[in-house]
Amino acid sequence: MSDSRASSGVDVALSGLSRRFDDTVAVADLSLRLPAGSFTALLGPSGCGKSTTLAMIAGLITPDGGEITIDGMPMSNVAAEHRPVGMVFQRPLLFPHLNVEQNIAFGLRMRRLRKGEIRRRVASMLERVQLGGLASRRVGELSGGQEQRVALARALVLEPPVLLLDEPFSQLDASLRHEMRSLVRRLHDDLKVTTVFVTHDQSEAVEVADSIALMLAGHLVGFDTPTAFFTRPPSLTAARFFGFANEVAGVVSAGCFVSHDGCIEIPSDAADGAATLVVRPESLWLLPVRTRTSVAAVGTIVNARFAGSHLEITVQRDSGEGLTVHAAIDQAVQLGAAVVVGFRPGGCTVIPACSP
Amino acid sequence: MRRGVLLALITGLLLPWIPLLIWAVSRQWRYPALLPQQYSGRGLRLLADPHTQILHGLLTSTVIAVTVAGLACLIGFPAGRAIGLYRFRGRRIVQFFLLAPVIVPGLAVTLGIQVFFIRYGLSDRITGVILVQLMPTVPYAATMLGGAFANYDIEYERQARMLGAGPVRVLLTVTIPLLRPAIALAALFAFLISWSEYVLTLLVGGGQVQTLPLLLFSAIGSPDTNAAAALALLVIGPPLLLVGLAARTLSNRSSATIGLARL
Amino acid sequence: MSAPQAIVAMTRRLPRWTRILLLLSPALLVVGVFFVAGVVQGVAQSFGYQPFLPGYQLSFDAYRQLWTDPAVRASLLLTARVAVVSTFSAASLGVTAALLIRRLGRSRGLASGLLQANLAVPHLVGALAILLLLSQGGLLARLTHAAGLTAGPASFPALTADRFGWGIIAEYVWKETPFLGVIALAALSRGIDDLEKVARTLGASRWQQLRHLTLPLLAAPVAAGSILVFAFAAGSYEVPYLLGRPYPATLPVVAFQGYRNTDLTARPEAMAVAVLITVLTATIVTAYLTLVTRLSRRTI
Repeated sequence: MSDSRASSGVDVALSGLSRRFDDTVAVADLSLRLPAGSFTALLGPSGCGKSTTLAMIAGLITPDGGEITIDGMPMSNVAAEHRPVGMVFQRPLLFPHLNVEQNIAFGLRMRRLRKGEIRRRVASMLERVQLGGLASRRVGELSGGQEQRVALARALVLEPPVLLLDEPFSQLDASLRHEMRSLVRRLHDDLKVTTVFVTHDQSEAVEVADSIALMLAGHLVGFDTPTAFFTRPPSLTAARFFGFANEVAGVVSAGCFVSHDGCIEIPSDAADGAATLVVRPESLWLLPVRTRTSVAAVGTIVNARFAGSHLEITVQRDSGEGLTVHAAIDQAVQLGAAVVVGFRPGGCTVIPACSP
Repeated sequence: MRRGVLLALITGLLLPWIPLLIWAVSRQWRYPALLPQQYSGRGLRLLADPHTQILHGLLTSTVIAVTVAGLACLIGFPAGRAIGLYRFRGRRIVQFFLLAPVIVPGLAVTLGIQVFFIRYGLSDRITGVILVQLMPTVPYAATMLGGAFANYDIEYERQARMLGAGPVRVLLTVTIPLLRPAIALAALFAFLISWSEYVLTLLVGGGQVQTLPLLLFSAIGSPDTNAAAALALLVIGPPLLLVGLAARTLSNRSSATIGLARL
Repeated sequence: MSAPQAIVAMTRRLPRWTRILLLLSPALLVVGVFFVAGVVQGVAQSFGYQPFLPGYQLSFDAYRQLWTDPAVRASLLLTARVAVVSTFSAASLGVTAALLIRRLGRSRGLASGLLQANLAVPHLVGALAILLLLSQGGLLARLTHAAGLTAGPASFPALTADRFGWGIIAEYVWKETPFLGVIALAALSRGIDDLEKVARTLGASRWQQLRHLTLPLLAAPVAAGSILVFAFAAGSYEVPYLLGRPYPATLPVVAFQGYRNTDLTARPEAMAVAVLITVLTATIVTAYLTLVTRLSRRTI
């Protein structure tokens, strides 16, 4: 590929962004700084306001309040067609009256570039998204994956400093989705474009992005690296979204979390007061009865289910909440048997009760 | 600017109605008066007058249009099923063949077969008029129902059969109810096409089958503008009523509107 | 088993091709008997063939007469003019109306309802309404008189029964603009909003969206509708009869008058005019379709 001119990203800042639709708050007081060249997943369940946020960055929806700046320039008076932003939507939305090549060339034609230049950039972009032979294909004759590649190429050929992706692969099947994610990742690494990827799928967010902005009910509830979300969730809701299936209520005092029934004690540097301990099923393991450890709970196996790579075991504690434990598939399990559940201290996070 | 253009368009749309409506209630409206010299309900009363044959024409028009609409749907339904559900060789040719009578003017085609209507005793009779009006309506109904069948999922029928419904019950309880909006529209447009048809009725009916368009045509040629305008109001009544009832279904179906070009 | 049940059960067991043919046969029969036979008979009778009459002679006389008849030439010109002007005016006005109505808020339903209501009105009623509006004693003539622009009926321009065919054109445009407007409106409601959003993120201004996206997407459905409008305008009888003048009259009027002539020798020529109408519409439609397909395959 001769086209070595990489568009480099610029930083995007949202401050106090909000938007209502009739009576519902879609986005509330959202502030977020995305550094130049970063790759951020905007993650949250459907209806949390993440797509609205993206549309506001693109200029397709006007915010009720707050400010968006791109590369230090306030965007409030800049129309969508003049923003330095490319966008790929959930559906490919290819122009049906144009073929693949013409679809990709659309934005360049709008800028009235010379035909030779257009042709060169379109050809180079087609190679990048691995659609080399399909230039003159009609859009109705493409597969779902090819359609999204064209949509991606159509946005990227303009070399936008910011790329917005609104759940672009949610309608593709699993293996194709994986392939497309690595394509997007590769394109980002080549072009250094500041990328915002909206998704409701936490595994997708983890796979593709460098940082995750978690949104729930219109609010930003966390902005950190994927590893951080998986090991030290910032809040209880974030923990639930990232698969921390077990919650134990208790209090923190003098650097130690103690569950209400007093059975579980975990060192913690959280402030004193009511708190919740969250722990993933894979950070728990079953121990033989009579094992004496301070970081353990006693209970009875009430359910066990084969889940492919592991066993999912439900233990009802003698006092307090039930626990879900992942165990190796060759583990001997007997329903009704009394067991001790061990806690891996590194996998436990204590969240003070005052946080959302 | 936008508002102005739109306003001008709507004015152009409504303007021709004004003299028609005024004439329908005016006994005397001599040039150059802007308003009639004498208003009167005479024209409207004439509609119900047994001497004017208008009531008889209303009946004839209704019988013909209802029969044509029913027959067009009955014949168009299986054809639509074949076009919409099956991918067979020559399907596009059949589609084109069925569209040809919608495009090629009916007058040009009917002149050639009029003698056969006379020969086989179908001329000057309602039966003949109904038959000849199938020509513009059946292709339209078949094409429209073909479009509906193309978006129809035959799995519903398979599901019904798995639940124990026989072929007739599948047709009556699954296929027809699912396609009801399309069938209703096809029938509506066949009715409207038949209701407005003038030249085919004249050719085959030979002036003996007096539908409302025939009566209106001769009324327009007569000096009694009051009667003609009143009759025109009677003629647009049923179509406006039916289109009003179907307005919601109509706005969701672009294919349906194609049929209106024949009106 | 009841009779219909037996029929349905029988068709289900039939081979595929037989089933398709059975389903199609009633409709094909109607089209075959009335349309195909009509065209074939029209052509045959234009050559002098007379069904049920002995002693006819086949000849090209009718076409020779047609070729030399100045009335037919004038009529052809008038027909083409009326059809072309009506179609283009209705298409541009209809698309304009649709684009404007789409941007309306609450009154959108009302405006599109007005268009639909006009669709259901028979052309005969339209002809009468246009006559009462545009004739030299019509409402427009009265208004210009009241405004002091015209002195009497004769000083108002002849818009009906005129040489150019203004009255006929006015009726077709009045009736077919809503038709093409409704078609365009339906095409606009199908996801064009989303495509325009994409175009905006690709830097298209409002004018560029219209020029490069909206109008090209409207072209196909509006063109299809325009074909129907053209064919109708070229082939209908009652509107040009009522709003035109006896000479020159449009081709359908000439054909019908010739056919109704008590002199049976005029029949072959009337048939030849009917054939001319058929060939004319078929040719224009085919040419137009070819052009549209070719245009839609442009490269960058």
